[in-house]
Amino acid sequence: MSVFIQQFLNGMVLGSIYGLVALGLTLVYGILHVPNFAHGAFYMVGAYVSFTLMNAMGVNYWVAMAGAAAVVAVLSVLSERLVFNPLRHAPPIHDKIAAIGILLFLEAGVQAIYGADFHRMPTPYNGAVSFGGIFMQEQRLLIIIGALSLMALLHLFLKRTMVGSTIIAMAQDREGAFLVGIDSNKVAMMTFAIAGALAAVAATLYAPINLVSPAMGHLVIMKAFVIIIVGGMGSIPGAIIGGMIIGFAEALGAFYISTDYKDIIAFALLVVILSIRPEGLFTKGTR
Amino acid sequence: MLQLKNISVAYGEFRALNNIDLHVDQGELVVLLGANGAGKSTIFKAISGLVKPVEGSIQFNSEELAGKKPSYIVERGLVQCPEGRKLFPGMSVRKNLLLGAYVHRRDKEGMQRSLKEVYELFPILEQKADDAAGSLSGGQQQMVAIGRALMSRPKMLLLDEPSLGLAPLVVKQMFEVIQKINEQGTSVLLAEQNAFAALKVADRAYVIESGRIVMQGDRETLMNDERVRKAYIGG
Ligand SMILES: Nc1ncnc2c1ncn2[C@@H]1O[C@H](COP(=O)(O)OP(=O)(O)O)[C@@H](O)[C@H]1O
Ligand SMILES: [Mg+2]
Repeated sequence: MSVFIQQFLNGMVLGSIYGLVALGLTLVYGILHVPNFAHGAFYMVGAYVSFTLMNAMGVNYWVAMAGAAAVVAVLSVLSERLVFNPLRHAPPIHDKIAAIGILLFLEAGVQAIYGADFHRMPTPYNGAVSFGGIFMQEQRLLIIIGALSLMALLHLFLKRTMVGSTIIAMAQDREGAFLVGIDSNKVAMMTFAIAGALAAVAATLYAPINLVSPAMGHLVIMKAFVIIIVGGMGSIPGAIIGGMIIGFAEALGAFYISTDYKDIIAFALLVVILSIRPEGLFTKGTR
Repeated sequence: MLQLKNISVAYGEFRALNNIDLHVDQGELVVLLGANGAGKSTIFKAISGLVKPVEGSIQFNSEELAGKKPSYIVERGLVQCPEGRKLFPGMSVRKNLLLGAYVHRRDKEGMQRSLKEVYELFPILEQKADDAAGSLSGGQQQMVAIGRALMSRPKMLLLDEPSLGLAPLVVKQMFEVIQKINEQGTSVLLAEQNAFAALKVADRAYVIESGRIVMQGDRETLMNDERVRKAYIGG
């Protein structure tokens, strides 16, 4: 039993990170209607910013996380202003090509500065906690608590505030949003800023138990794509619950089947779920 | 109050509007009659800033609006209730209505007052306040759409085919409400195919065919016009 709980917690750690990344991806999809392939690069840049702030400038972990969130939010908004916004009347394929362009540009940029080596990100939370025979690294506990709190905050912002509601309004009916006086530029910039900040926070939470490298965003973003396809493109509960499903499947699969296959499990699940519900788990028929 | 001069709109190569001249005075209820595809919605989209005219001017209270953003136009008090309603289907009725007051979002008291007024106009919406807008019947959704537009406290309301797809009894109610809104001081420009019902409440009307205004006049003139009777009233 305790072994199962251990795997359950591992699944939650993974699910929390995937969920944060997928949330940003799904919010941007709701506005842009194009998958933002550059999102994984934002995640990676977030880790490097935190890493640099801590290693080179000696700032505290939390300050580094806030700094990374701010830097990546600005980067994400710049990509919207300079790349996606000018392309808004172009065919969707142009956005996709541009997104891949941003991805390659950021990866090459980071590699030019830091090299392709792996780095270890420090964390002040190196201990472990135990309760009822279950051991857990502090950092893992922090990931779960941090991600869940952030999701709850985001939920309150989107549901309870007028400004947050404009993001959902625009995703549900673009023209309707324009006609109540919502400014599409402001909403797009705000959405990209939030998505970027979430990616940077996710990276700063996860990197201390993983590694920092220019390619670190690849697997995470591929899984985030699986999650928003499984959860329903643009669906917010879909991103959170989809993240947990993939996280659990991966943790349990790694333990009961084999760690060699853990990265394939997400994609196997994608095939299974899409053959049962092609529209995704949380898509309503009306959208 | 609203004045369109020489407005033309093109979708790619296709010219949907040709040199439209049209005006609505303070307090008027003006009807825009035209068959499906005549260009009514395109006129509305041009006024609201959703499409940019290739030429011409749109003035509202002597301010040029052609080329301005939709949000700017709503803030000026020129508000559209669009064809097909364009509600936020997954949000509650109340949320839809409150978002209608987005341009007044800092005036919480004013928003609550407007909300009360909309509930007085459409009592059923207060009962359905917590239901998702997308789950309502067509007539109720139309009420939400009109209510949402009223929440922004418009000086002029543009109503694009509010009777489309509704049962005759509901259509009748809808026109009564529109008349009431107009009597309370909001100028109205109403696009309709349903000429008989629309002309009954109108001060004046324009007839549009293939992107051109082909006729205009006051209610009696058009009601008694042979061509209008043949084309739109069927008698
Ligand atoms: N987005 C669009 N792209 C191309 N053609 C359009 C578009 N919207 C409308 N049209 C065309 O413009 C003409 C006028 O349409 P519309 O203004 O919707 O008419 P109405 O509202 O009177 O039914 C129609 O021929 C229609 O096919
Ligand atoms: Mg129309």
